[in-house]
Formats: sequence, structure tokens, C-alpha cells
Amino acid sequence: MAILSLAFKSLLNRKLTFFITLFSIAISVALLLGVQTLKTETNSSFMKSISGTDLIIGARGASSQLLLSSVFHIGNTPNTIQYSTYKTISQSPAVEWAVPISMGDSHKGYTVMATDLTFYDHFSFANNKHLTVNKGNIDEDMFAVVIGSEVAKKLNYSIGDQVIVTHGGGEIEGHHHDNIPFFISAILAPSFTAIDQTLIISLEAMEAMHTDNHGHFGVLPGETTIAPSHDHTEHSDNESHDKHEHHDADHEGHDEHEHHNAVHENHDEQEHHDEGHESDDEHEHHNITHENHDEHEHHDADHENHDEHEHHDAAHESHDEHEHHDADHESHDEYEHHDANHESHDNHEDSDADHEAHAHHQDTQDQRVARLLKIKPQEINAIFVGLTSPQAILGMQSYVNNFKQEPLSAIIPAVALQELWQFFSLAEVALNIVTAFVVLVGLLGMLSIILMSLNERRREMAILRSVGARPGHIFGLIIGEAGFVCFTGILLGIALLYLLLFTLQAPLASYYGFYLDINILTPNDLSILIVIQLSALIIAFIPGWLIYKYSLSDGMSIKF
Amino acid sequence: MININSLRFAWQKEPIIHIDALTIQQGQHLFIEGPSGSGKSTLLNLLGGVITPQSGDIEILGQSLNQMSSSQKDAFRANHIGFIFQQFNLIPYLSVLDNITLPCTFSDDRKQKALKRSGSLQKEAMRLLAALGINDKALIQRSVNELSVGQQQRVAAARAMLGSPDIIIADEPTSALDYDHRQAFIRILFEECEKENITLIFVSHDATLKHHFSHHINLQKLNQVNTKEVL
Repeated sequence: MAILSLAFKSLLNRKLTFFITLFSIAISVALLLGVQTLKTETNSSFMKSISGTDLIIGARGASSQLLLSSVFHIGNTPNTIQYSTYKTISQSPAVEWAVPISMGDSHKGYTVMATDLTFYDHFSFANNKHLTVNKGNIDEDMFAVVIGSEVAKKLNYSIGDQVIVTHGGGEIEGHHHDNIPFFISAILAPSFTAIDQTLIISLEAMEAMHTDNHGHFGVLPGETTIAPSHDHTEHSDNESHDKHEHHDADHEGHDEHEHHNAVHENHDEQEHHDEGHESDDEHEHHNITHENHDEHEHHDADHENHDEHEHHDAAHESHDEHEHHDADHESHDEYEHHDANHESHDNHEDSDADHEAHAHHQDTQDQRVARLLKIKPQEINAIFVGLTSPQAILGMQSYVNNFKQEPLSAIIPAVALQELWQFFSLAEVALNIVTAFVVLVGLLGMLSIILMSLNERRREMAILRSVGARPGHIFGLIIGEAGFVCFTGILLGIALLYLLLFTLQAPLASYYGFYLDINILTPNDLSILIVIQLSALIIAFIPGWLIYKYSLSDGMSIKF
Repeated sequence: MININSLRFAWQKEPIIHIDALTIQQGQHLFIEGPSGSGKSTLLNLLGGVITPQSGDIEILGQSLNQMSSSQKDAFRANHIGFIFQQFNLIPYLSVLDNITLPCTFSDDRKQKALKRSGSLQKEAMRLLAALGINDKALIQRSVNELSVGQQQRVAAARAMLGSPDIIIADEPTSALDYDHRQAFIRILFEECEKENITLIFVSHDATLKHHFSHHINLQKLNQVNTKEVL
């Protein structure tokens, strides 16, 4: 102990070189630990990109490509799978849920992903965390878009803003689907996954954009093409009426009317049940006059909002509602779905922002056509699948891989992520080597400083020898000094690391969307630190051995 | 108490010391005269057990150094011998007090003796310094770099005397001092050694000092290696 206190006092006598050595070791230790932390954090944020999904199914191809495109939205999958395949797979008994995903478009460099509303229920990341809405509400409307937090922040978007989607990746100027503008219905909370940089639209809208409707549907008679930034005033009563009539003519309105009426019998019955309205009169009336029926519909939908109803032009409203109705009310299933959404619609009206979103959004001609045509998705890029039990994964995977109707491949996200991470392992090794050398340089700096101090310390050694110090003591003095410098260097390095992490955490999250989780040192870090400490002691054997030799040859003779 | 028999030492096959016989009595104040290169330092290192002779024996206080391991020799030196060197005797990063009490780090014997005498190491250090003519109490906590050369040599002497070793070996302790300080230093050293019954071996090339001593030997005559050739 006495010799350690001597070593310590001796060090303090050489403050300048001591602090230089200390800082060089501290910085190299901080760098090494920083790289380790960054490595584990990137790894874990990478692994956290998706969770709870048992299989990702796509067209046959490389599993990494499917993973990259579906989870990280990197690259494109030119290969698509049939929507009918999705239907088949989702009905498979082992499948608890299945969410279709479609890619290929972008908005100002951000990926546009098309999916359906079940995506929000089933997609999870990290430890089964679900996407949460920060502002607005997820709207079932065909042309509503939900945007990731970073998209909103970088492009400064807010609820109700219009968005034009570009065909392709966006790096090269692609075709703008400006015939179909979207309105932002919700902004998601940051998830620190690729979703932050993504705009999510409906599959139907995606299909609508890619249907070559410019050729088939020109400007309808009596209609002016509406620019995306179109304002309300262009909707006159006459125009709406005209459109309505034209529409009937074009699409063999008679059949549709019948179908429509049939559906609405159900509809009315249900609503009468729910709300206690009387029925028969209106019901008949409804069968006779189309306009009245529509008004009735509208009345049901906007039941709580009398003011708005009165302000609006009746004909115009009914027209829109009619179209909407046609587009959505195809089957009984969807009809119920519609009812459910009406509830959420009511909720919408509570929030001013959403109300605005609806009020400002006007469908363009193509959008109306799309709604009328009840466009259904034909092709998708991937399916996220959740299974009823984890035991079913391998069986399901082989079922999908041998799918008869079209060539498919299914990947297990956790496995594919792990495989993909192997690609980065080379960079990881390179980084490790570099940081190991940085630490080595730090330790060599310590060695050279100790070696340089040896000559001036030979006198000190002779004095210590004369009062009875053994050569071992002198050796211990050097080792102790190196050990002490390295140990304090490591402590300072750890302090430096955490200082750095706490300073960088907020800017990293806000500028790069990278959430740095600050943890205590891992056992791996600790073993690295122990290795550094031991290396310092081993390296100190060189000057230690030299001084040992000096002390033997010099003895007590003081050499100058 | 110190017996040297046919001692031979060579460094890298170059013979440096060859002394047939030398006996030093307890309490004796011996002056060893030897110019530089006469093997002075080597002889002191041999006496201190820091280096081992090729042949011959050194017996101190009835114990043969040859029969001790090197760490036993280190412990023996710490317990029984105090050294004073020419200059820069002190460890620069230790205070005056820490320098004086340094032998206690390595010798529990001397620590116990010092404690027995004054109760605490600091009191014993103060006592020795006062005996050596330094009465400034504040000086003890100061850095040794603030001391004059004369003060430094007296601090070194106090360190050598702490815990009453049996032998003090002084290697040119006065060469850095001027004439007046030299006389005073030797006088104080003698007084203290006599009081404690310490054997003093004083080595110097300065023959003018030998009249202070009751015994003196010339190393050049004693040493059968012709050191002039070494020079």
C-alpha cells in the first residue's frame, strides 16, 4: 500500500504528463465504449423494426430483398402477388391475421405504403408496441393518408394538408399522380422505425392511382377538371345535378339503383332500430325519390351536426353522399364496416382539425370515379402475417413456399433480420479493429510517457533502494503507476461516454430518427474494460522490467 | 562489526574491487578516502547488499550477507543501515516529513524504534531536525525543493538516523556544501552518531576532512585492483 501511495504522489508530481496520459486513455476508452454502444443500439433498433409478425410473404425472391422492401422500405420489389392470394392466405386456418402491403410510390423521397386499416391493429415493433397517432385520427376514407412523424416534421405538414404522390422512388422525377390528391388525416407518433419516414394510404387509392383512368374516363360532360388546390365555389347546384345524371347514364344507373335500394332497406331497418326513428313513410319515400333517400342518408350520417347540414347545399351534399355510398356499400360486410366507421366519423366531428380536413377536401373527378368504380386492389407486394401459434410458423412457411397458384416466399422476420445483420458484421469487425487500435495507441502513449520518465526517475529509484526498497518495490511503483493511470483513465472515459450519450440522445432522435437507449455498461463492455486494464499492466512490464534492471545495476549509486 | 574477507567484485568481467581484509568496529567513525573511480560506490553498494560479490564475504553485525537472499539483504539494509548521499538525496515529490520517515515504509523495526523514542514519527522527525540544527517547525510540511542545499543534506541525515540504525554510510555528503556548512554538518553528524552509538562510514575524495575522524583508510591502497587504469 505504501508503495501505491508513493506511486500516486510520484504521479501527482508529474501532473502535466499524467493528465495528458489520462485524457488520451479516457478518450480512447470513451471511443471504444461509444462504438460498442452504437453497435448494440443500431443492432437493437434494427431488430426492433418489426415484432409480432410471424411471417412476411412476398413474391418469390431473395429474402433480404423482401425484408428490406417491406420492413425498411429500401429498394423496390418489382414482383407483386395477387390480391386473391392474400385472400386465400388470410383464410388459412393457421393465420390469425394478415395485412396486405403495397409499395412503389413516393412523396418527396418518402415511401408511400398502401395497406388497409388492419395494419394499425396488427403491425408492431420493438416489444409489441403498436403505432400510435400523435395528431388527428386514422380515417377510413379512401383518400386519407396517415404520415410518419418524420415526414410531418421535415415537410412541415399538418392535418388536412394535401399530398400528391409520385410514381416510383422519387429520386428521379417520376409521374405525379396529381389527379388523385390525398388529405392528411393523421400524423403518427415517432416509432423510430421506417414508418416514421412513410406515408400510409389505402390499397384502393393505390390501385386507383395506377389504373390508367386517363384513357378511359375523360372529362365527364359538363365537368371542369379540378386542380388539386380546387376550392368550393366551383360546385354549383347544377353541376352536381348534371354529374349525378350523367353518372346514372354512364353506369346503367337502373341496376345500381335496385341494388342500392336493396341495401338501403337493410340500412334503414338497422338505423331505425338504433335511433328509434319511425320508418315506413320514409322508407317508401326513399324508394321513390332518390334525392330524398340521399338526404335521409346524409341526415343519418351527420345526425349530430344540424348547423352544417343547413349551411350546405342540399343537392351537392346528397350527390357526394350518394357516390360515397355506392363506392362503399357493396356487400353486407362492408355495410357493417360502414356503420362502424360512422361512429368514428362522429368522433371526428369533435375535433376541429379533422372537421377541417373533411371540409377542405374535395374529390377530384378521378377520385370520384375511383369511388364510383369501387376499385379493388389487384396486386400487392407483401403480406404481414400473424399466426395463431408460434408452432405453426414453419408449417405455414413451407405451405407458402409451395403455394400452388403463384410462386411465393415467406420469411420469418426475426431470422431474416438476423441474417441481414450479418451483412453488417464486416463493418462491425472493421470498426472494432479501428477502436482496438485507438485504445492501443492510448496505451502506447502511456508507455512512452512512462519510459521517458524513467531516466529522471533513476535517482528516485536509487534513493528508494537506499532506504530498503526491493527491486520488486520499484517494479511495483511503475506497474502501480500504469495501473492507476489506466484505471482513472477508464473511469474518466466512462464518464465522458455518458456525458456524450446524454448530450447526443435528443439531437440524434430529432435529426436522425435514431433513438439511442442509454443503458448501464453491458458485461461485454466491462470485460473490454478489464482487458484494457490488464493490457495497461502488461504493457507496464516493459518500463517495470527496465527499471528493475536499472535498480539492480545502479544500486544506490545516483546516476545523473 | 563489519568484516570483509577476500572480497572480489567485477563488473562485466572488469575487476573493480579486491579487498583482502577490512574490519570496522562498532561505534567507529571511519573515513574512507578515495578519488572518483576508485571503486567507492561499488564498495558502498556491496556493503548495502545491493550488489553481490563474485567471491569473498561481507559480515555485518555478525550476519553474512552471502547467506541472505536479495530481499533479505534489502530488509537487512532497511533495518540496519542509513545512507546519506552527495546531493539530491531527497525524493522531490514528498514533503520534508515524508522524506524523513521514508525508511519506516520499508523497515518496521526502525518505525517501532522511532515511535518508542518520541511517540510519533512526526515528533521524532522534529527532534532529529532540531538536533541537526533546523528549528523551523513549518519547514517539515514543505516541499523539499524549497530547501537550501545545506538544509537538504541535514534532512537527509535526519532520514538516515531515524529509528536508530546501526550503521550510517555517508557518500560525499558534504561536497555540495561550502566550507562553513561542511564543518557544521560534520560536527552535528558526529555528535548524533556518538549519542546513538551509530557506526559511521564516511566516504570522500576530499582528504582534508580526514582529520575529523579517528580512523581512516585509503581505498586506493586497500583495493588491490589498479583503479588508475580504470580511470
